[in-house]
Amino acid sequence: MIYQSLGEWFDKIGNFSLTLLIVTVYGLLMGAFIERIIAKVQGRIGIPYKQPFINVLKNIFKRTAISHGIMFYLGPVFRIAGGIGTLAFIPVIFGSETFSNFSTAGDLFLVIYFMFFGQLGMALGAGESGHPYSAIGVARGLSQMTAYEVPFALAVVAIVLQYGTLSINDIVAAQQGGWQHWTMVTNWPATLAAMLAFLGMTGYSPFDIFLAPQEIPIGPPTEFHSAYLGLLQLNRALFGATKLILFMNLFFGGATGWPELMLKTWLIYMVAIVVGVAFPRYRVDQGIRFFFKLPTLIGIMSIIYVQMVLTA
Amino acid sequence: MITPALTDIAFTDVMLQPLGIFILALATAFLIPLFDRFYRGSATFIFLAALVGLILIAGLNLLAVIDGAPAIAIETAGIKPPFSINLRFGLFEGGFVLAINTVALLAAWHCLPTLRQHASALLLYLILVMGIDGTVMTRDLFNLFIFIEITSIAVYALIAMQRTGNALVAGFKYIMATSLASAFFLLGTIFIYYQTGTLNIDDIITHRALIQGPVGLIASLFLLTSLVIELKPYPANGWGLDVYETANTGIASLISVAVSAGVFFALYKLLPLLQDYLPSLTIIAGFTFLFSNIIALKQDNSRRLLGYSSIGQMALLTLALTLLIQQGAESQLPLIVGGLFINHLFAKAGLFWLAGIVTGSVNGRSIHQWSAIAGQPALIILFGLLISALIGLPPFPGFWAKWQLMMLLTDHQLFSWMVLILLGSLLEAGYLFRWFSYARQSAAQDTESEASKKPDPRKPAVVTAGLMQKAPIAIAGLLLLSTGYGMAQNLHLASPNLFLPLVAGFAMWLLDGIHGRLKDVPMLVAVALGGYLLTHDLDGINRMFSYLLLGGGLLMSFAAMYRNDDRRGFYPLLTVLLLSLAALLRAQDSLEFFFSWELMTLSSYLLVSLGRKAVKPALTYLLFSLGSAYFILAGFALAFAATGSQLLSDLGNSGASTDIIFVLLATGFLIKMGAFGVHIWLPGAYAESDDDFSAILSAVVSKAGVFGLLIIAAHLGVHAEIGLDPAYVLAWVGILTATFGALMAVFQEDIKRLLAYSSMGQLGYIVTGVALMSHLGWVAAMYMTVNHFLYKGILFLSVAGIILRSGERLMYRMGGLIKNMPFTFVFSMIAIIAMSGVPPLTGFGGKWMLFNALMDKGWYWITAMAFFSSAVAFLYMYRLLHTVFLGQRKLEHATLREAPITLLIPQMLLIIGIFVISANPKLLIDMLSVAIDPWLANTLVWDGYTLQGPYGYWNAPSIMLIVAGVWMVPLILLLLFSMTMKIQKVEQFNIVFAAERPHRPEQTHFAYHFFAHYDRAIGFVVRPRATAFWNGTVEWLHTLASALRIFYNGNGQTYALLIIMYLVAILFFNGGLAS
Repeated sequence: MIYQSLGEWFDKIGNFSLTLLIVTVYGLLMGAFIERIIAKVQGRIGIPYKQPFINVLKNIFKRTAISHGIMFYLGPVFRIAGGIGTLAFIPVIFGSETFSNFSTAGDLFLVIYFMFFGQLGMALGAGESGHPYSAIGVARGLSQMTAYEVPFALAVVAIVLQYGTLSINDIVAAQQGGWQHWTMVTNWPATLAAMLAFLGMTGYSPFDIFLAPQEIPIGPPTEFHSAYLGLLQLNRALFGATKLILFMNLFFGGATGWPELMLKTWLIYMVAIVVGVAFPRYRVDQGIRFFFKLPTLIGIMSIIYVQMVLTA
Repeated sequence: MITPALTDIAFTDVMLQPLGIFILALATAFLIPLFDRFYRGSATFIFLAALVGLILIAGLNLLAVIDGAPAIAIETAGIKPPFSINLRFGLFEGGFVLAINTVALLAAWHCLPTLRQHASALLLYLILVMGIDGTVMTRDLFNLFIFIEITSIAVYALIAMQRTGNALVAGFKYIMATSLASAFFLLGTIFIYYQTGTLNIDDIITHRALIQGPVGLIASLFLLTSLVIELKPYPANGWGLDVYETANTGIASLISVAVSAGVFFALYKLLPLLQDYLPSLTIIAGFTFLFSNIIALKQDNSRRLLGYSSIGQMALLTLALTLLIQQGAESQLPLIVGGLFINHLFAKAGLFWLAGIVTGSVNGRSIHQWSAIAGQPALIILFGLLISALIGLPPFPGFWAKWQLMMLLTDHQLFSWMVLILLGSLLEAGYLFRWFSYARQSAAQDTESEASKKPDPRKPAVVTAGLMQKAPIAIAGLLLLSTGYGMAQNLHLASPNLFLPLVAGFAMWLLDGIHGRLKDVPMLVAVALGGYLLTHDLDGINRMFSYLLLGGGLLMSFAAMYRNDDRRGFYPLLTVLLLSLAALLRAQDSLEFFFSWELMTLSSYLLVSLGRKAVKPALTYLLFSLGSAYFILAGFALAFAATGSQLLSDLGNSGASTDIIFVLLATGFLIKMGAFGVHIWLPGAYAESDDDFSAILSAVVSKAGVFGLLIIAAHLGVHAEIGLDPAYVLAWVGILTATFGALMAVFQEDIKRLLAYSSMGQLGYIVTGVALMSHLGWVAAMYMTVNHFLYKGILFLSVAGIILRSGERLMYRMGGLIKNMPFTFVFSMIAIIAMSGVPPLTGFGGKWMLFNALMDKGWYWITAMAFFSSAVAFLYMYRLLHTVFLGQRKLEHATLREAPITLLIPQMLLIIGIFVISANPKLLIDMLSVAIDPWLANTLVWDGYTLQGPYGYWNAPSIMLIVAGVWMVPLILLLLFSMTMKIQKVEQFNIVFAAERPHRPEQTHFAYHFFAHYDRAIGFVVRPRATAFWNGTVEWLHTLASALRIFYNGNGQTYALLIIMYLVAILFFNGGLAS
C-alpha cells in the first residue's frame, strides 16, 4: 500500500476531495466560458455562467426516471468513476503535496489505461439501453479512439524516452526552470502529434460525429436522463479538465499554482475550440484515416527527433 | 533302420530350416489341386496351414539368430554354388522373411473369399510368397533372377485371374514391364558371370574388381536398372500404378509391400556391386519420393492414391538405404530402414485391405465415398491408426526411424535431403489425412462439401464389415503398435513417461461405453493422477507451466460435464492430450519433447475433428501442426548435429548454428501459436471445435507453444548469449500478430471466430514478451500467459453456455441476453476488462510490465504498435459484450435460461483467480520470478507492494483500493439521488427512437457489420492475404501434380519406352556424375 496508516489515507482522501471539487467547478465554469466563446463566434450571446450548474442540479433532482436494467444504471457510475479515478492518479499542482493526489500508486501508463475505464463502463451502460444510436455512437467513438491513440502513443513514447521516466511528477519536474524547458519547446514534434490527437480526444469538430451534438439525439448518452445525465454532465466537466491537466503536465511544463493551471489548461482547450469552430465535421472513416496520416507521421518523427537530437 | 521317431525328428529338423520354406510352399502347392478335387475346404485349410507354417519357420529361425546363432547358410544337394540353391538366413533376411510371411498370411485372410474360388489362386499365392522369400534369402545371382521371375509370373497370373478388362490390361502392362526388367537382370547376370566366373553374390562381391570396362559398366547398369524399375521409379512407373488400382486389394497389398520388399532386399544385397551408382540411386529415390507425393495430392481414387503412397514409401526406404550406406552408417540400418520397412509393410497393407472392404461395399473408389465408414468407429480408428503410422507419428516404428534418420542426415550435413524428406512427408500427410477427413464426414455433412455437387441418387452406402474382415487390419495395427513399442525399448526410450498418455487414453477408451457426463469423472481422476506422476518433481518454468496446463486443463475439462451426450472418443483423446502436455513438460531431451509434441498434435487434431463441421478446419489444423512439428524436428536435428547431444539443456552449446536452430524451432512454435502469416488454421480450428474444447484449445493447448518458445529462448537465446537479431524479428512477428489478430477479430460476426482471432492477438504480446530476452520481459510474458488462460477460459466457457442456450454463433442473431444470463454476462465482462488491460484488473499488470520492458530494451516502434493494437482490441471486446448481452433481445430468446452450473463453476473459479491476482499481483510475479531467475538476473525492484520498473512504478493493491473507492462514491450518490426519484423499469423497445416505434429487435439491435466505418477506413489491411497465399500454394501444387502426371497415359507401349529410356538416362546421368 502506498500509505501505511489509516490516518494517512484519510488525509489523502480529504486533500483529493478538495482537488476534485476545484477541478469539477473549474470544469463546469470553463464549459460555460467555452460555450459563450462559440456563441460569440456564431453571433449569439450564449449561456450564463451558472447554466452548467443549473443543468446538473436540475437533472439530479428530477423526480421521475426510467431504467433499462442494472448495467444501464451503473453506466454513469462507471463513467464518473473513470473521471474521478483518472484525476486521482495525476499530480495536479507541481511541488504541492496536498494536490499530488494518489499519483504515487501508479504512473503515466496507469493514467492512460485508466481513461478507458469510464469509457468502457459507459459504453456498456449505453448498450443496455437498447438504443441503436447509442451503439452506433459507441462504435464510432471507439473506432476514432483507436486512430488518435496512434499519434498520442507515439508522442508519449517520445517523451518517456526523452525524460527517461513514466512518472508524471518527474516529467513535470524536468520541465521546470522557464518556458524554454517545456516539452512544447524541447520536443515540439511530440507536442504537435499529441495536440492533433487531442483534437480527436476532446470530441469537437471535425471529430465530433460520434456525439453529433447538433442533431437528433445520438451518441452514447442518448437514453440517459435525470440523475444519470447529471452525473454524466459532471463527468464531462471533470474529465475534460483532467485531460487538460494531463496535457499541461506532459507538454506545457505543468503548473505550480491554480492560476497557472487554469490559464494553461484554458489555452490548451482553446486549440480544440478554434479548430472546432473553424473546420467542418469529418465522416468517421475520414477522421480515422486523418489520424493515420500526418499526425502519425509527426509522431514517428518525434521519436526519431528524440533519438537523433535529444539523446544523441 | 531308421525308427519312426528318428524320422520324425529328422523331418522337423529339415522342415524347420529356412529351406523348409521352399519345401513347404512347393509341397503344399502340389497338394492343393489334389485336395481341391477331394474337398474344396481342405485345400483352403492346407493353404492357410502352410502360410502359418511359413511364419513359424521364419520366426523360429529368426529367434535362433537373435539369440546369437550364426547366420544360417544353406547349399542344397551337397553341390557347391552356382549349381545349388544357395541361401542365407541372417538377421536382416530373417526379419524381412518373417515380416513378409506375416503380412502374406494376413493378406490371404483378407482376400480368402476371392482366393478360394480357384485352387490355382491358392497355389499361385503360395508360389508368390515363396518367390519373395527366395528373393530375400538367395545368395546366388541367377537364382535371384529365377525368384524374381517366379514372383512376377505369379503376380501376373493372380492379377489376370480377376478377368475384368482393366485388370487384364494392367496385368499385361505389369508382365511387360517386369519382363523388361528381368531381361535386363539376366543380361547383367550373364555379363557378370562372364567377367567374374561365378554367380555367388558373395564371391562376386569379393571379386568385384574384376567387373570393369565397358562390359562391367553395362553389367552393373543392367542389374541396377532392372531392380530400380521393379521398385517403380518416377516416371517409369505407370504400369505399377495401374496394377495397384485394379488388382484385388489383397494381391495389391502384397505387391505393394511384399514384392517390393523382396526387390528392395535384392537391391540391398547387390549394392556393394553398384557403388558407382549410389548417388544416382539416391537422386532417383529422392525424386520418386517427392514426385509421387506431389502427384498423389491430386488423386481421388483411393487405390491409386495408395499406389502413389506405396511408391513414395519404397522410394523413401531406398533413399534412406543409399544415404546410410554412403555415409557408412550401416549400424543404423536395422533401426532406420527396418523401422521404415515394418511401418510401410503393415500400415500400407492394412490400408489396402481397408480399401478392399470399403470399395467392396461402396460402388466406386473415389475417396469422397469413404464417408461410408463414418458411422463405423472401429474402422475409423483403424484407418486413423494406419495413416498415423504411415506419416510417422508416435508411437509407431516410422516415428523412431524418421527421427533417427533426421538426426543422421543433419549429422552428415545432408540438409537438402532432410528438407526433401520432410517436405515429402508433409505432402503425404496432406493427402492421407484429406482422405481421412472424407471418411470422418458423415453423409449429412458430405452434402455440403464440394464432393457431392452432383447429388448421388442412390442412398449413401454403408459399409458392413464383419469381425473376420476387420481382424487382419486390426492385427496389422497391433503389430505396428507393438513394434513401435519394441523399437522404443531398443532405443532405451520406452520410459513409462512417454507412453503414459497412451495407456491412460486406452484405459479411458475402455470406459467409453459409459453414458454421458459421468465419464468426465474418471477422466479427471486419470489426468490428475497421471499429471501428478509426470510433473510432481519439476521445477522452474516447467513447474509453472505444469500448474497452468494441468490445473487449467482439469478445470476446463470439468466444464465438459455440461454436455450429457455420448461424445464417443472425446474423453480418451482429452486424456491423451492433457497427459501428453504433462509429458512434454517433463521432456529432458529433444526426442522426448518431440514425441510428446507429436502426440499432442495428433490428439488435438482428432479432438478438433470431433466438432460438428470441423472436418475441414481440422485438416488445415493438422497440416499446419505437422509443418510446425517438422520445423521443430529440423531444429532439433540441427542442434544434434551441432552439439552431438539430444539433451535440451545442451541446446545452448550449438555455437555458430545457434541462430538458425533458434529460427527453425521458433518458427515451429509460432506456427503452433498461430502467428501472423501462418495463422490461417487458427480461426477454423478454434471456431469449429466443440465449444468446451475450444476453451481448452485456447486457454490451455496454445500455452504449449509459449512453453516451447520460452524453453528454446532460455536454452538458446540466454545461454548462448547471441541470437538477438532473431529475437528482434520474433518481437516484430509477435506485435504484428497482436495487431492483425485484433484487427481481424474486429470484423468477425461469428463469436467463436472473434475469440479465435483474439487469442491469436493476445498470444502475439506473449511472443513479444519472450522475444525481449530480459527478466522483466519474461515475467511479463508468463504473467500474460497466466492471464490469458484466466480470461480466455472464462470467455470460451461463457460462449459455450450462450451457444448451448441460444443455438446461435452469429452475434447479430443474439442481443439483450444480460436479462437471461446475468452471471454469464458479469463473468464475461470481468474477463473482458482483464483482457483489455484497464486497471485495476490483471490485464494492466501484463501491459505495464511489457511496455516497461519494451522501452527498457529500446524497441520504441514495437511499443507504439502495442499501444495501437491494445486500442484496437477494445473494438472487438465491446462488440462481443454489446451485441450478445446488451441491446435488444430477440423475441424468441425471451425464455432462455442461464448457462448450466457446470459451466459457471469453472468460470467462477477463474474469476476468483483474476481478482486475487489483481489485488496482489506480487503473489504471482514472485512465483514467476523464481522460475525465471535461473536464466536471467532478477531486475524486479519491490518497494513494499510497489513494483519499480525501469521507467515507472505500479502499486496494484493501492490502485485496486482507490478504484474501488472512486467507484463506490458515485454509486452511493446515485443511490441517494434515486431515493428522490421514482424509477420505473421499462419494457423492451421503450426508447427515444427518433419519433419511430420500433417493434422488431432485428431492426433495432445495432449489431451486424458493427464496425462498417472502420472497415471502410482501414479494412483493406486485413483482406485475407495470408489465406490467398496458402490457397495459392495448394493450387500451385495441384498444377504441378497435373504437370508431373503427363507420363501416365495408360499406354503400355509408352510405359515400355519409358523403361528403356530410363536405362539410357541412368547411363548418361551416371556417366555425367562420374566424369
